[in-house]
Amino acid sequence: MVEALIEIDSLVKIYPPSTIAVKDFDLKINTGEIHSVIGENGAGKSTLMKMIYGLTERSSGKIKINNRDVKFTSPQQAVKYGIGMVHQEFMLIPSYTVFENIILGVEPTSKLGIIEKKEAEKKIKDLIKQYNFNLKLKSKISEISVAAQQKVEILKLLYRDVDVLILDEPTAVLTPQEIEDLFLRLKKLRYEGRTIIFISHKLDEVLELSDVITVMRKGEKITTLENNNLGKAELAKAMVGRDVIFSIDKTKANLGDVIFSAVNLNYKDANGIQQLEDVSLQINSGEILGVAGVEGNGQYELVRAISGLLDLDYGEIKIKNKNIEDLDILKRRREMAYVTQDRKFMGSAQDLNLMENSIMTHHRLNDELSYYHPVLLSKSASIKFADNLINKFKVISESSKQPISSLSGGNQQRLIVGREFMLSDQFIMLDNPTRGLDVGSIEFIQEEIINKRDKGAAVLLVSADLDELFSLADRLLVMHSGKVVFNTDTARTNKEEIGQYMLGAEMSDSA
Amino acid sequence: MKKNILTGILGIVSALVVGLIILFIQGYPAVESYRQLFNYSILSRFSFFSTLAKAAPLILTGLSAAVGFGSNVVNLGQVGQLLIGAMSVTVVGLFINLPAVIMIPILLLTAVISGALYSGLAAYLRVKFNMDEFITTLMLNFVAQYFTLYLITGPLIDKEMNSPMTQQINSSGWLPMLNSLETTIFISIIISLLIYFIWHNTKMGYEWKVMGSNNTFALFGGVKIDKNYVRVMLISGALAGLAGAMLIMGGLQHRFLKGIGANYGWDGVMTAVVANNSIIGTVIYGLFFAVLQTGSMGMELETAVPSEFVLILQAITVLFVVASRKSAYLLLNKMSIILKIRQLRSGGEPEENELDD
Repeated sequence: MVEALIEIDSLVKIYPPSTIAVKDFDLKINTGEIHSVIGENGAGKSTLMKMIYGLTERSSGKIKINNRDVKFTSPQQAVKYGIGMVHQEFMLIPSYTVFENIILGVEPTSKLGIIEKKEAEKKIKDLIKQYNFNLKLKSKISEISVAAQQKVEILKLLYRDVDVLILDEPTAVLTPQEIEDLFLRLKKLRYEGRTIIFISHKLDEVLELSDVITVMRKGEKITTLENNNLGKAELAKAMVGRDVIFSIDKTKANLGDVIFSAVNLNYKDANGIQQLEDVSLQINSGEILGVAGVEGNGQYELVRAISGLLDLDYGEIKIKNKNIEDLDILKRRREMAYVTQDRKFMGSAQDLNLMENSIMTHHRLNDELSYYHPVLLSKSASIKFADNLINKFKVISESSKQPISSLSGGNQQRLIVGREFMLSDQFIMLDNPTRGLDVGSIEFIQEEIINKRDKGAAVLLVSADLDELFSLADRLLVMHSGKVVFNTDTARTNKEEIGQYMLGAEMSDSA
Repeated sequence: MKKNILTGILGIVSALVVGLIILFIQGYPAVESYRQLFNYSILSRFSFFSTLAKAAPLILTGLSAAVGFGSNVVNLGQVGQLLIGAMSVTVVGLFINLPAVIMIPILLLTAVISGALYSGLAAYLRVKFNMDEFITTLMLNFVAQYFTLYLITGPLIDKEMNSPMTQQINSSGWLPMLNSLETTIFISIIISLLIYFIWHNTKMGYEWKVMGSNNTFALFGGVKIDKNYVRVMLISGALAGLAGAMLIMGGLQHRFLKGIGANYGWDGVMTAVVANNSIIGTVIYGLFFAVLQTGSMGMELETAVPSEFVLILQAITVLFVVASRKSAYLLLNKMSIILKIRQLRSGGEPEENELDD
């Protein structure tokens, strides 16, 4: 057998106080292979990679590169050893150009400290040509698409002559067409002798791309398999630890009256960019309307406009024939549940306990939480309320007095979804409600969403996950550049078609 | 909560030990100095009463900072709000004379309103022009300092005195003594209880706490951020203004002297920081710092250790309490990791009940 390029020996990572993120992990990665590491969200894939890359300190264990023990304390050291990583969230400076971002940190300078552009430019241009990247050096990062930004990240690493590329969930931000494009490029890189470590939780992608697949579950290595004749179901079982149902039981939508309608929403941001342009939509009782789109095409503005977090330039929003566009946030919350896209920064206060996180919004709307007088807040009623919520939404916890930060992501999200679902039965707005969760929690939350629909709620579901949209939504909208470009019944379309609309007709990589 | 008490005690004890070592190295009688420090602050009735008198305004400025910081409102204007409160009380007390039963409430109210108006100025600038209160309150401190200095050197100067100060306010506005105990401490305690109640038992207090932890979450949940911001600012200013009233209505001087209340503003900020913005913690640390400050005079008298030594002791306490809060946390984490690894290595399979992550 060939000497392994990267060899990991009983690696352990424990996040204090006692969460085991990675547990006695052994792994060998050989030169010139595409090695996928798959596992559910929270399985410890990213933590494992961050330890290899020097971003996170290991608790115990060994990492060898070319048979030498290494302990990186910074990514720069890893890059010196030829290892580079593209993170889930890009590490680019939006106001700098592609060129500036690529050379940042390794600027070729003359003796006087002046940047010698020519040489660097030539090298980058050669790389762009070689890999057919279709990027312009002078474009600003903030002006190019997410897919193009990802290319810049990869180019950054190639410019630093790395041999090993670690890509952490690179497809999460891409449309189906862009994913194909990325895969071609990765295969070319492998062909030239580079090694690629590909992190994902999407089975199809992993099966299509990789030579070797390592399955990870709860921080442990379950198995490493050569990718020939592997079945999706078998891989899924290894990943989740039980049989997985790929579709959700959902009866046909039983439509009632129009509950929610928005007409001609228009919004221009402070930079004069038209973030919403004549967006109109309508949701009936008992219907889930899915909103697809590449992130940053107005979905977040739409959600914020509905919840009252931004002031529209123009437009009308109605819930049950009542205009809400001029109401303040609290008055709108009386009519709607709203699960925000980011549970840490928008959906909860991480320092506070479960009770304090449970009663938000309810504390103003639910009279039972008052005590003699509406200005007072009853401790005992609040705890009772929180305990009820914890029970109903199966939040695994010890007490309503523990801080929410001590819960796993899935349990935090159950609490947040539960809190919101207890607010309203008529209109529910969900912004990526299952992003980054374990399969168990995803299933639970998706079932709750369908329950709500079946009880007659109108549901607006914004999601970056096409699988989720296709399994939940009765109808789909696609947003592009602040406009609704496509509106169809889910049953009458497929992912490729939606992907086309997500990209927009006139969109190109270097735009 | 338990951890806070533990790290607090740990911090105070280690600060006192370090202070002891410093005294020893400097060649002072270390143990004797400490004995005198406590002798002159808690060990006799008279000294204990002076400590309480010192603590009364300090607790109020501490609460002013704690309520602000705990709600994500960075009011650093205690100095100015205290001066404005004290000056307003002085002016009203000089020119109005009513029976004490009416006079005292009027003066207290004056301090509360004037302090709140002064911090309200910063709140207005923030809400209207988005100017950071952290800057404006600091700047307004200077305005208050020079404005009050102008008043006591100009229009309000007592010409019979040889340093700038006003005349005494009418004696009907003096807070009574209770067997040589100043009643200011009772006002501080009542106010502390009131703030504690608001913080823990009202919807408003809940909203402030959430704002202090995550403003965005509060906003998304329907909390009216601007309205609450202004309320917190006003209350914070009112508390500092009330501390100013204590200085005029309590004590022996009953007049606005140059340099009055010089340290109370910043010591209040310090108290809140050490207490991590907890209301009870602020009261306790307020008392502790009052002990040090009161005792330092006695220490200087008996063992010739300069009373400024207490400033060092205070600084060390702040560093140790805040540092032990963090380091105890890190230490505990490190220990639990080592334990967990040992558990893993010994083959003892840890509990399999973690359903996810």
